[in-house]
Amino acid sequence: MLATLRDLFLYNPEFRIGAILLGLIAGMAALSLASPYAPLDTFVVAPDLPPSFAHPFGTTSRGQDVFWQLTFAIRNTLTFGIVVAVLSRLLSLAIGLLAGYKGGWVDRVLMAINDTFIAIPLFPILVLFYFVLRDAMSWAALAIIMALLGWAYDARLIRALALSLKTREFTYTGVFSGMTTRELLVREHLPYVMPIVFATTMNNMNWSIGLEVTLSVLGFTDINSPTVGGMIYWANQHTALVAGVWWWIAFPVILVVALFIGLFLLAVSMNEHIDPRSRLRRMGAEGGA
Amino acid sequence: MSPTVAANGETQRPTTETPREPVLRVDDLRAYYRTRHFGVGREVKAVDGVSFEVRDNEIYGLAGESSSGKSTLLKAVAAAMRPPLQVVGGTARLRFLQAKSLHEASSAELAQLRWRKLSYIMQGSMSALNPVRRVRRSFEDFAARHLRETGAAFEAKVVAHLSQLRLDKSVLDAFPHELSGGMRQRVTIALATICRPDLVIADEPTTALDVVVQKDVLDMIRDLQRQSGSSLLLVTHDLGVHAYLTDRLAIMYGGRLVEEAPTEALFGNPQHPYAKHLIASLPRIGEEAPKAALAGGPPNLAEPPAGCRFHPRCPLAMERCRREAPVMTRVAPNHRVACFAVAGSA
Repeated sequence: MLATLRDLFLYNPEFRIGAILLGLIAGMAALSLASPYAPLDTFVVAPDLPPSFAHPFGTTSRGQDVFWQLTFAIRNTLTFGIVVAVLSRLLSLAIGLLAGYKGGWVDRVLMAINDTFIAIPLFPILVLFYFVLRDAMSWAALAIIMALLGWAYDARLIRALALSLKTREFTYTGVFSGMTTRELLVREHLPYVMPIVFATTMNNMNWSIGLEVTLSVLGFTDINSPTVGGMIYWANQHTALVAGVWWWIAFPVILVVALFIGLFLLAVSMNEHIDPRSRLRRMGAEGGA
Repeated sequence: MSPTVAANGETQRPTTETPREPVLRVDDLRAYYRTRHFGVGREVKAVDGVSFEVRDNEIYGLAGESSSGKSTLLKAVAAAMRPPLQVVGGTARLRFLQAKSLHEASSAELAQLRWRKLSYIMQGSMSALNPVRRVRRSFEDFAARHLRETGAAFEAKVVAHLSQLRLDKSVLDAFPHELSGGMRQRVTIALATICRPDLVIADEPTTALDVVVQKDVLDMIRDLQRQSGSSLLLVTHDLGVHAYLTDRLAIMYGGRLVEEAPTEALFGNPQHPYAKHLIASLPRIGEEAPKAALAGGPPNLAEPPAGCRFHPRCPLAMERCRREAPVMTRVAPNHRVACFAVAGSA
């Protein structure tokens, strides 16, 4: 595992850049623990100061330090993405593996639900949830709703793999030896689909963070817990760009773009790593042809 | 139980008298694939009334071309069926099973049986072992529950068994793709035989191997079988393998047995017209005349011909063959043929 990561780092520039970007962002999120200011306090510093040594990213019109505020925001946003990804991965793995292996009516029912989730537009539904839940729409509630909405694409992908795994001989051997369906799926099929799940996890995080930022910017989330989108929302509320406080919007946007690019590059490099042919080509082991 | 040795020093071939009940007795077994698409039912009669028995300490061969139903027969006998395959009639009785037929046994009974009494060697392809699991994990996943041993005792047993198949214990830490084809096949054989089952079912165990490795693997299968005194039901289309390994041989055509005899007798003196042509088609050294081929192809088992399934291609076909299906009839001790022309009225 470590050797794989080292090889990826050495031979795969996408992975290298992605890992560095994500490392910087994770480091910034970790810095939130050392912040001199509480995340929700306002007017702890002089407002509207441009970037300087004392305040590297400047200060907001609400009297907050942009840098330290961002450390909290990126931590929350990142955690949000991870929670959604983990929860939706559990769902898509369970549903995909079971539907593909069981087939028959189990498959038909699960895939009918699955296709419904693929077909319905998610954004209006999330906005609807906000208007129904209002104050009850917390960070955790949004994460759970997104996880419940975000498993469908990957469940289809995993089902497709499970369909092929089901006809392999080692599956017959497992059935013949008396493994239960759960044992068979967890011990024989799960390890096979894991690499693909890793790659799609990055894409899923990109998707969930993107939607969360969109909702926050529009004010359709709990605006009091600091997230990257929430910061942009407050900047817009204070007409930061008109007032010339550009740093209030620029740094959150740069950070979230860096996060997207980092996750995307990691997903690309994972995809390439899973395909042995492109991996060999990358390492220069393949001749002409 | 050790093999009995006859006076002439040769390992005794099964004789007409069977003192004990056979390990496996299959009686008029019928297994069909039944599918239903858009309300249209379809039935493929892949195994249609097959009877035979596998005795103690023998290697019983089953030969036939592709789509003759031999793999289906194996699946039915191993009770490893999955829809759309169904057993629609007949019995497959195992000596060590309480139930009258394998297909009436409860799943708990079958679970008790598998690996310890009845085992299955899968076709020797790349996917016989899970490509993302180390060999050790395959043993743990599939065999440990039946061996009822864990930890060091289990490991020691596995290593000892592997060494019998001339495999080093380092293969346990390898992934399947790191092994050669022959090693992989030996691992699957080791996996299936570690509990020393009474009956081993092997489906084309050497098809994916070249002849040199094939001979090695066949020798090992035979040694293992002779040592443990178990019985082996071997299915392959490769008649060379049958000639080399099996004690008795049955030939299948269109979902039914057409002839069964001790292997030497079947190769030396085939009776059924299909078996005759099959044996005659084998190349012999020094032979120059081209082989005559039978017209036509194997029957479509969704709509098999009435009567004898071989009659459309049979040079000896009579009027009766078009109406009635011949049953297996004894023509010599241990030699059964299903043909009106050969076995008379029966």
